[in-house]
Amino acid sequence: MKYVNTLAVMLGLGCGLGLPTAHAQQQPVEIKFTAQVNGQPFSCGQSYKDIGSTKSTITPSDFRFFVSEVELLDAQGRATALTLTQDKTWQVENVALLDFENATGPCRNGTVPTNTSVRGTVPSGKYTGVRFTLGVPFKLNHVDPTTAPAPLSSTAMFWTWQGGYKFLKVDMASAGTTAAHGHGAAHGAGHGGGAASGFSVHLGSTMCASPSKTAAPTACANPNRLTVSLPQFDLSKQTIVADIGAVLAGANVDVNTPGTSPGCMSFLKDADCPPIMAALGLPYENHAAGLQRFFSAK
Amino acid sequence: MRVPGSFHLRLLSVLLACATVILLVWSVFAQSTTQADSSSRHEVAYQWGLAPWAPEPVVPPDNPMSLGKVELGRHLFYDKRLSADESMSCATCHRQEKAFTDGKARSEGIDGKLGGRSAMSLANAGYLPVLTWMNPNLNSLEIQALIPIFGEHPVEMGMAGREELLFERLKSEPRYKKMFIEAFPKEATLGDAGLYSLSTVTKALAAFQRSLVSFSSAFDHYRYEGKADALSPSAKRGESLFFGEKMECYHCHGGLNFNDNIQHSRMPFPELGFHNTGLYDVDGKGGYPQTNPGIIEITGIAGDTGKFRTPTLRNIALTAPYMHDGSIPSLAEVIRGHYARAGRASADKGQPNPLRSEFLQGFNVTEEEVVDLVAFLESLTDFAFVSNPRHSDPWRAGVQ
Repeated sequence: MKYVNTLAVMLGLGCGLGLPTAHAQQQPVEIKFTAQVNGQPFSCGQSYKDIGSTKSTITPSDFRFFVSEVELLDAQGRATALTLTQDKTWQVENVALLDFENATGPCRNGTVPTNTSVRGTVPSGKYTGVRFTLGVPFKLNHVDPTTAPAPLSSTAMFWTWQGGYKFLKVDMASAGTTAAHGHGAAHGAGHGGGAASGFSVHLGSTMCASPSKTAAPTACANPNRLTVSLPQFDLSKQTIVADIGAVLAGANVDVNTPGTSPGCMSFLKDADCPPIMAALGLPYENHAAGLQRFFSAK
Repeated sequence: MRVPGSFHLRLLSVLLACATVILLVWSVFAQSTTQADSSSRHEVAYQWGLAPWAPEPVVPPDNPMSLGKVELGRHLFYDKRLSADESMSCATCHRQEKAFTDGKARSEGIDGKLGGRSAMSLANAGYLPVLTWMNPNLNSLEIQALIPIFGEHPVEMGMAGREELLFERLKSEPRYKKMFIEAFPKEATLGDAGLYSLSTVTKALAAFQRSLVSFSSAFDHYRYEGKADALSPSAKRGESLFFGEKMECYHCHGGLNFNDNIQHSRMPFPELGFHNTGLYDVDGKGGYPQTNPGIIEITGIAGDTGKFRTPTLRNIALTAPYMHDGSIPSLAEVIRGHYARAGRASADKGQPNPLRSEFLQGFNVTEEEVVDLVAFLESLTDFAFVSNPRHSDPWRAGVQ
């Protein structure tokens, strides 16, 4: 009984001390995201036409990405950090995993649950825009992925200990590469999920030197984090659209440069990368950063 | 947004919330002190014997772990009376010294006929969301236990239709009665019919398999416990190859259990991975032999041809021969003759299997690199696990 009374006093004190902070009123915020392919909603098993420089047909088998450091902007451009709800599933610290695949059809190696929004709180106020990073902050990007809390426990998004996580993972089967192996586009559409003929866009940090393959680096020469600013964004009405079709617009998804990773996996000396990295608004080797075309407010 | 007087409302609600919390804590505390007097040792939390860094397996709510249940499961696992002619136990094909495999390409049932695939390691079975090579729907150790005991295609332990015989045998063993009652106190109140049932037998076998946790290899000491010299220089070079972009091993064999099929207590939901590694290509279009076509046998989806569940690489040096059908005798040959060639089938067909995983692009490898990579794989052997008396045969003379 003595313990209970002590506990009660402590709780009472704790609650009492907590009161002053109740002054700073918080408002809940949900920022919705949509995944698209050339303006069409992304769906596992769906095929999409007119992709890339060869107007190919693709069947995506994965569509996931990390966002972090989410901030709301006011009319003067001042930024206020969004405090993410720590849900032990999709959000940890200031990182959230957005996951549009549902493990059906060609997305077989995915996960059933999906996550299409970022949730948190900000001090009450009037906000007119949003800013966020595509990627995982350096501080969290090189933690041990085998023991990290969700969503940083995802083996699918785990890349290398040195490089950290895949910030963006979109995989697809494409008509051209499938045909090159003696299969028609219709047949190829069923493969996805890791057929050798696939094309992938995996974004992550590169050139992160570390003492061993399973030790964290001190820095990465190519962080490949993209800051996205949408100053005109109505939280109550609008959605952030992530359109992989726009990223692939200048790429040839029907071929993979021999001796390189399938598609573009951010590594240097891959001829498949320049048009993709440019559309992601990132510099690549001697190519300057272009304007990002992946995200837009709709 | 600012409503005059709202501060007082907030103050009231905060005070009310605090009062509720205090009452709740009080009641829980009061209850637990009264319950403590009557609590039995069944309610003591099961001790996994895991290092602090390692997460616990996921346990189904209807089969909580207990020491008594694990002990019963261990006795059943090693009991040959679970097979029709009393010649085989689970341990016949899952031997502890081989990380619970049998060293054979494919295992014989009691009728002497070979099964279709190689006996899988049971190390860290509790971390697997999908259990077997080729059935993506088989996700429960309790259900899976029925297959070797009662399966007819192929016959393994041959008990189909003979469950009453099984229960009679269990009842006649003097050691079991006390163990069953301790493991299943609720079922014991229903008498023998409740106590000796498929439900209790499979739950005990599943609990024993969940207890087979293996996270104490040299690599674990090196990677998670900061012992830099736990790996040889050769194994460290092998680690670089394993986690490197040339060989791409870690894409499917990454993570805590060195595979991409994982669930544990710190994950919100499981992750699954099935891959075609180009081991076969019977028709030049990526087809696999009829006997082991991959998960397409269950799913019927053409793209699932040749896809099998990724196995763990923990204790892999003890589990030869390799692949789903045991068709490769050594790790060196798996590296040299299979993965370096973008899949073994490329040697016959002149081109790799077109349906294989995109991560199988092949690579040039030197003999030194093969030696280093094998040294790394050998560092995943958990010698404490394969000699742990808690997992050993309790029926041997002198063991109680």
